[in-house]
Amino acid sequence: MTTTGLAQEEDPSPPLLRPYGWSFAGVVLLQVIGAVAGLAPLLAVVELGRALLSPGPVDHGQVWLVVIAGAAGLLVRLLFTAASSGLGHVLDGRVQLALRRRLAERLGRVPIGWFSRRRTGELAKVVGEDVSAVHPFIAHAPGELVSAFVVPLVSLVYLFSVDWRLTLITLIPVVLAVALVPLLMLPARLREQEEYDAAMGRIANAVVEFVQGIAVVKAFGGSERAHRRFLTAADDFVGIFSRWVRGMSAVAAGMQLALSPPFVLLVVLIGGAALITSGGLAPADLLPFLLLGLGLTAPVAALGHGFDDLQAARRAVGRIKDVLDVRSLPEPARPATPLGHRVELRGVRFGYEADREVLRGIDLVLEPGTVTALVGPSGSGKSTLVQLLPRFFDPTHGAVLLGGADLREIDSRELYRLVSFVFQDVRLLRASVADNIALAVPRAGHDDVVRAARLAGIHDRVLELPRGYDTVLGEEAELSGGEAQRISIARALLADTPVLVLDEATAFADPQTEQAVRRALAALAGERTILVIAHRLETVADADTVVMLDDGAIVERGSPAELLARGGRFAAFWQSHRSAVAGDAVPQGDEPR
Amino acid sequence: MIRMLLRVLGHEYARAMRRTVALMTITAMAEGLSYALLVPVLRALLGSTPADAWPWLIAFGAAVAGYAVLRYLSDLAGMRVGTTMLRGMYHRLGEHLARLPIGWYSSGRVGEVSVMASRGLLQAMGVSAHLLAPFVSALVTPATIVAVMLAFDWQLGLAALAAAPVVAAIQAWTARSTAAADADRHERDKEAAGRVIEYLQAQPVLRAGGRTGERFEALDDSLREVRRASRRTVLATLPGAVGLTLAVQTVFTVLLVLGAYLALGGSIGAAEVLTILVLAARCADPLLSLSDIGGKLRGARSELARLDAVLRTEPLPEPAEPVQPEHAGLEFDAVTFRHGGRRVIDDLSLSVPPGQRLAVVGPSGAGKSTLLQLLARFHDVDAGAVRVGGVDVRAISTEALMARIAIVFQNVYLFDGTIEENIRLGRPGAGEAEVRAAATAARLDEVIERLPGGWAANVGEGGALLSGGERQRVSIARALLKDAPVVLLDEVTSALDPVNEAAVHEGIERLMAGRTVVMVAHRMRTVRRADRVVFLDGGRVVEEGGHDELLRRGGRYAAFWEIAIPAAYPRSLS
Repeated sequence: MTTTGLAQEEDPSPPLLRPYGWSFAGVVLLQVIGAVAGLAPLLAVVELGRALLSPGPVDHGQVWLVVIAGAAGLLVRLLFTAASSGLGHVLDGRVQLALRRRLAERLGRVPIGWFSRRRTGELAKVVGEDVSAVHPFIAHAPGELVSAFVVPLVSLVYLFSVDWRLTLITLIPVVLAVALVPLLMLPARLREQEEYDAAMGRIANAVVEFVQGIAVVKAFGGSERAHRRFLTAADDFVGIFSRWVRGMSAVAAGMQLALSPPFVLLVVLIGGAALITSGGLAPADLLPFLLLGLGLTAPVAALGHGFDDLQAARRAVGRIKDVLDVRSLPEPARPATPLGHRVELRGVRFGYEADREVLRGIDLVLEPGTVTALVGPSGSGKSTLVQLLPRFFDPTHGAVLLGGADLREIDSRELYRLVSFVFQDVRLLRASVADNIALAVPRAGHDDVVRAARLAGIHDRVLELPRGYDTVLGEEAELSGGEAQRISIARALLADTPVLVLDEATAFADPQTEQAVRRALAALAGERTILVIAHRLETVADADTVVMLDDGAIVERGSPAELLARGGRFAAFWQSHRSAVAGDAVPQGDEPR
Repeated sequence: MIRMLLRVLGHEYARAMRRTVALMTITAMAEGLSYALLVPVLRALLGSTPADAWPWLIAFGAAVAGYAVLRYLSDLAGMRVGTTMLRGMYHRLGEHLARLPIGWYSSGRVGEVSVMASRGLLQAMGVSAHLLAPFVSALVTPATIVAVMLAFDWQLGLAALAAAPVVAAIQAWTARSTAAADADRHERDKEAAGRVIEYLQAQPVLRAGGRTGERFEALDDSLREVRRASRRTVLATLPGAVGLTLAVQTVFTVLLVLGAYLALGGSIGAAEVLTILVLAARCADPLLSLSDIGGKLRGARSELARLDAVLRTEPLPEPAEPVQPEHAGLEFDAVTFRHGGRRVIDDLSLSVPPGQRLAVVGPSGAGKSTLLQLLARFHDVDAGAVRVGGVDVRAISTEALMARIAIVFQNVYLFDGTIEENIRLGRPGAGEAEVRAAATAARLDEVIERLPGGWAANVGEGGALLSGGERQRVSIARALLKDAPVVLLDEVTSALDPVNEAAVHEGIERLMAGRTVVMVAHRMRTVRRADRVVFLDGGRVVEEGGHDELLRRGGRYAAFWEIAIPAAYPRSLS
């Protein structure tokens, strides 16, 4: 049972722990030497007994030799176990760092679309808590488990050499305890364990819901009914927990009693007394059993003790491996170089689930130097379509081509140099404003950053921050939603890619941001290929081509004027919007122009 | 530690807890005392008349039986107290969380509280069930054994007793020196967790800059900090563990030497010395396990400390004699409110007569949403007063206040359940027909028609299966069903596409009819529906009046709209 063995058995492809094999061996060796040396003082007492109890005059020299040997054993034990524990923990730190880095590396390569189906919190838990849960596996298990088996084994050999009958008697408590183990593995117990895990999960969900919905819950009254769901889950959990505990308690108590020192001593003394009174055992030979016999219970105790932690660690390792095993979007062996910036979708079909297609055969060409506006009712597949361009997903059928090359044939770094995007949910990093804007272009000069910020209409706001462009967002200052969106626009402007995908988000939070988007679009026009999910009529009207999407298919396309004249779906759509936003247009007359 | 546990538990559980600890102490003492019988047993067995051991051995057997019963009882008591406390804690935490002001719930809190209420609570409560008994026994049993040793030989007993102050001093010192390292470690863990989340959420942009894995320095730095902190924790705990082992082993060595010396001098019998050394070996193991148990207790203690901090956060005070609001009018009277070191609302006065509609307009960060939150008493003001129906909100009971106000938030959170359940939250006692009517008025029926399963369709966690606009309609239906005299709307239509916007507006129109309304808005269409507009900036009212009047005035308000309204009808089409 070494950890390297475990790495082999658990992880066939890239070993998680194998590189640390030698260090683990060191930890184990130090621990074993220390633990075995720990037997020396006990043996010293035994030898002291033999010397004192032997008939005739006591050999003083021998007594002191024994005492010195015992003391030396203690010193060795202290030094070696301390060294083992220190080394084990240092190793633990190294392994955890390596695991976290590997997870980060892997998460940096999985398809972006993969994230949309997972909760960020859960993934963060894998990188954080789950890696930490491996701790007992690395820092404690190898040394402690091995010595929990080696030391009793050494003791057992020694005791057998003293008296085999009393050795067998000394093993009675261990046998009793082991005999009870199957009772802990009864189907009923295992079912309770599963129920326990499930109930724990329900509590976690109920808490998240409770906390996230707290505003709604409070606003809609009755804080008493507010957390009923949470309390139900909690009561449910406690019920299962106490059932589980009750089911275990009698057996566990029996085991613990069998392994408890008073009981072991009682068994040894009864056996010893019987043997001594019948003349079959020298009185001094009883001593090793009293001193070492208790240690024989260690493996059973260690198994019971470390079992929960190891189980938790095993589950954590499972989750870590699940993440490490996610396949990244395949990278081309021989990347193709796009020629030009023409974007073409050929017979593209896509569905998040196998049986529900969101895009049903899209053929679309985006010419360089044009703006294409995507319109359509919600749920028509607009967001999905634009996400195919930066290759958040690969289409299930058909292909997306950039400059004549299939996106799957383009190196992903190259792709991101060609395509940039502004999507609704803007994520700002806890980093300086300048770093946030230059995220996609780490080597950008300060002047370029400022130029992009000006164009995005955020420059003046940045200057108002405590340290201007060096202000760390989230620490020294918070930006509003609209301001964050303008930072994101500045990012795209700075990245200056030939292809821009923009979700003219449903949520551009304030008039200034809407203005920034329009300015950005105007500034970017020229040779660029722009695809925009349009929500505002003026964007649609200014576009070169309008594509009307419905239920995953293109129903109309053409210039805005053309489509209006045709009087089809788009015209109807346009009219309904016009009346919907008519209110906004009225003040026009009042305004000096 | 136990004091903190008792405080977190509240005093109703304190007695059961004390009884359990007493039982555990008695059990541990019983174990120690039973060893006293080993002396006569061994004296007989190692002496010349081994048969004399039998009566003593029977007595020892009886003592072990007594210990077994006590131990079973105290284990059982520990588990029972553990589960009762667990249930009590869940209820206590749940009720407390529900009473905390919404202002307390920042975005970081959500994660923190969820961990605390699930795993953290269990770990903290596990103390009594799993750690308390070993801890008590590891301390009390050796102490009892030392007393037994003293009774048989004062010299050896005193030598063993010398260990007590050393062990106590080491325990105290370790606890102090590791507390700081633990706190630091927790801080680093939190920081790294934040960075991981950031890293995950910013993936698209980070990849564009080629910053994945170790190339994203912010994340890698925080991961390395975690390792450094964990190394510091090890360094902080190691001296304590080594010191404890050293102390225990030194005492054992002293006993060994002293025992050999006394036995050789003939001042004590060989059997007595050997028995005492056997007993000393019995002391050593539990004492050495203290550092292990101590580590686990520390882990539980930091969880407890976090629980304690939350439970000690005061909810907003409830009035002793609540007053009922007299009408649906709203008033801010010289209100100042600070948040995060900033004056969010700055000496603001404002009133809305019953049945009137007020629109609040202003740049981001002007304090618009805060205004609504103060009306609903999500926070208490620092100066001045907020009045609903002529009564200070602090003098109205939370229930009465909430019964008068319906809020439609910008971000709607739906509970994992059916649409119907989510609407019914507005008024739990509402009849089937009323719920349907509210849904129809909010134009939800077309959404319901589209969903597989219709009314019984599940909306997913947080309403994830519905679009933003659809969620918004559910929340309007909820507010309609609630039928409260005051309606607060927070940028309700900003997050909508035009189709949803039209539907939502229809619902809003119905919701506003005949009620006192305060709406935060930045679509002019919404603003025009208001009787009066205030333009807010920096927590102050900058301009106030009718929409057209303010536009004509050509001040801040007019400038605000000017950039918002582009050439709305492009040349090519108009």
